[in-house]
Amino acid sequence: MSNRIRTDDAGSKIERPVLDVSHYSMLYDTEAGPVTALDDVSLKIWRGETHALVGESGSGKSTLAWAITRYMADNARDTNGAILLSGEDMIGKSRWDLEALRGKRIAMVFQDPSSSLNPSMRLGDQLAEVLVRHRGMTWDQARTEGEAALDRTGIAKPKEMMQRYPHEASGGEKQRVVIAMAFACNPELIIFDEPTTALDILTANQILDLFVRLREETGVAALYITHDLGLVARIASTVSVIHKGSIVERGDLSKVFAAPEHPYTRKLLAALPRPEDRLALPAPETDAPLFEARDVGVKYNTPGWLTRILDSNAAPLWGARHISLDVRPGELLGIVGESGSGKSTIAKAATGLNPYEGEIRFDGRTFPSRDDFDRQYRREVQIVFQHPDASLNPRETIGGILSRPLKLYGLVSRGRVAARVRELLEMVLLPADYANRYPHQLSGGEKQRVAIARAFAAEPKLVICDEITAALDVSVQAAVARLLVNLQKRSGAACIFITHDLNLIRQLAHRIVVFQRGALVDAFDVADAGTPDRHPYTRALLDAVPVPHSVDLSADPMESLT
Amino acid sequence: MRKILKSPTGLIGTVLLAIVFFVTVFGPWVAPYDPQAFDPINRLAGPSLQHWLGTDQYGRDLFSRMLNGAPSTVAFGLGATLLGVGVGSIIGVIAGVAGGRTDSIIMRILDGMLAMPELLFTLLIVTFLGGGTTQAMLAVAVTFTPGMARIARSSVLSVRTREYVLAAQARGESQSWIVGREVLPNALGPIIVEATIRVSFAIMIGATLGFLGLGAQPPSTEWGLMVAESRQFMFRNPWCVAVPGLAIAITAMGFNLFGDALRDAFDPKRSH
Repeated sequence: MSNRIRTDDAGSKIERPVLDVSHYSMLYDTEAGPVTALDDVSLKIWRGETHALVGESGSGKSTLAWAITRYMADNARDTNGAILLSGEDMIGKSRWDLEALRGKRIAMVFQDPSSSLNPSMRLGDQLAEVLVRHRGMTWDQARTEGEAALDRTGIAKPKEMMQRYPHEASGGEKQRVVIAMAFACNPELIIFDEPTTALDILTANQILDLFVRLREETGVAALYITHDLGLVARIASTVSVIHKGSIVERGDLSKVFAAPEHPYTRKLLAALPRPEDRLALPAPETDAPLFEARDVGVKYNTPGWLTRILDSNAAPLWGARHISLDVRPGELLGIVGESGSGKSTIAKAATGLNPYEGEIRFDGRTFPSRDDFDRQYRREVQIVFQHPDASLNPRETIGGILSRPLKLYGLVSRGRVAARVRELLEMVLLPADYANRYPHQLSGGEKQRVAIARAFAAEPKLVICDEITAALDVSVQAAVARLLVNLQKRSGAACIFITHDLNLIRQLAHRIVVFQRGALVDAFDVADAGTPDRHPYTRALLDAVPVPHSVDLSADPMESLT
Repeated sequence: MRKILKSPTGLIGTVLLAIVFFVTVFGPWVAPYDPQAFDPINRLAGPSLQHWLGTDQYGRDLFSRMLNGAPSTVAFGLGATLLGVGVGSIIGVIAGVAGGRTDSIIMRILDGMLAMPELLFTLLIVTFLGGGTTQAMLAVAVTFTPGMARIARSSVLSVRTREYVLAAQARGESQSWIVGREVLPNALGPIIVEATIRVSFAIMIGATLGFLGLGAQPPSTEWGLMVAESRQFMFRNPWCVAVPGLAIAITAMGFNLFGDALRDAFDPKRSH
């Protein structure tokens, strides 16, 4: 927290703010009439300040960013207010003025570095182009300057990186290049639109460090758009919370976080997972495992005989290998790891969606391959997927979806199905008349509740949750996590919870296993998360995620705020 | 349906199709003359009160002939498409669901069929089967099969890896239930759309075959054949070629526009 810039009140505020949005409103003309996208938004950013704009999906945070740079859809209409960049009105500017200004005075860094770079151009040329265009350099000068810019972003061999194409660089390296491009022309303002969301935790952490360092070196004003409240504390000095197109709370970061005034801000902060608020049920007392994986491996792309003849080195790709883990009845086991670490591969193997090698034992029975999974196993082991939009058949009603496991496993008599569906809906806190609706009429969080209800409808002994909160907004995440624990309590089912959110899993799990590149590298009791005998990778993951402040003023933030 | 009528494309397509279907069903009854009745005095006449759209080389009333030709022409297009789409979809769904070696073998064979130009392939089949409406219909259906199979397969493949299908597999549902209830209803959209657009191709290929003398045989009033028969007299009375030609164009356009609008209506990205 020491590296946060404090705005020096007396000194800096005499000059004009770099960005001054005052009472700005915007609407979209649609077939159904005008829809207000931004309503009376005011925002000031001073030189050297990082202002965080926090909001959930659909809150209008990206719309505001586009409005500031004046990239707008044809049906967008400014209705009120002004946007000033160092005192100059942006709204009245001509297309030519704007083109000269973008990249030079306002730069943007987007979420996904792989789609913001041109895949058919060398990284060096893309970087040099900005300098040639906006700083009038020759190509030779621009390349030299570009190398220097890459060097400042901490890329090890800038000269080599200049020659590469985007697909030859990793996600983190690409985002560094994009950031180097943004800083290349010494802009007055840089807009960051969730620049770390598409990256894995450790890389995201390095990018944030880089951002903080570059900002201190250059003194640029930055608007940092994010949905991640936990991250805001590390980078910003002031914050605005946006909700349904209007700013509900703004101010000094420490003040807003310590004593939020608006109920929405309180709700957002309260929803942040904090490891010290344990949600988990008491740990089971028995040691006898319900589910056991013994040396399980999953391989992809086993080469055919022809491939083997042509290429003697052809070998299968292991999605996960030598995985041994066990889950006790009623326990919640967390699996963490970055994308591609084999977490979901194991989940699919355990539910018969991937063929596997090794052995799975469940409830006293042994299954050497997925063909041995019988109806009873399939009923007792259920899975919930990540994307609520994709996990429900769009052509079935909610009632039809929920009644399927009941009919398939013959759990209730035909006449009782409708009543049981109503019970299931109530169990996941949805109104009973949702049974007649179709999935597209529900919000993401509601759909995920239905998917959870479908899993629990089978009266399972083990529920595998594959990143079920990853696609949801923070406030919905917390509710879904609570619901899951509640259902676990009622049914006594064990749960494997796969996630990359370490704070959340420390709230929920009894034990955690860590996956890295298809191997299980660490397994520990959740209470031992901080102990020194953790695997270095586990420690790196834990250190990368800041534990959020507590909302109530009493407790001081915990140890890992470094 | 409301979505289709809202776009200009959809509205025009629907209106054209409505006219075509009206003519198909009621045309033969409304026709003022017997389509085969000769009128030697009025040969190759232009439009008049007596013959609204003129007459052909034997003095037969073009309007009546066009109305009488509608059922056979449209039925040809619909029949060939249904047959081709039906067989093609079944093959495509089998390939998509089975995957692996079955899929590879089926698709390589279809690739081979696709390598031949459509019309040439149809001609080849007609030469084997002999001329005639039924044979021509079969030929068009066979030509359509590989393309439709490809579309059905890709549609099935994109649905098959959705999470709700995985959920059904994890639940231990039977293969037929997964295909019938989870995959097919969600994969049907692109197949229906493609089928609608293909009707217009079928009608045009049918007309072409008729024109080449390989489809319907005289004295049939099939539109393509009508064009072929009166070709020699094109310069003396352009109406005898223009009338059936325009009828083909309108029908093809109707199906095409309607299919386009249908695709837009099915595509969630294009609708608001």
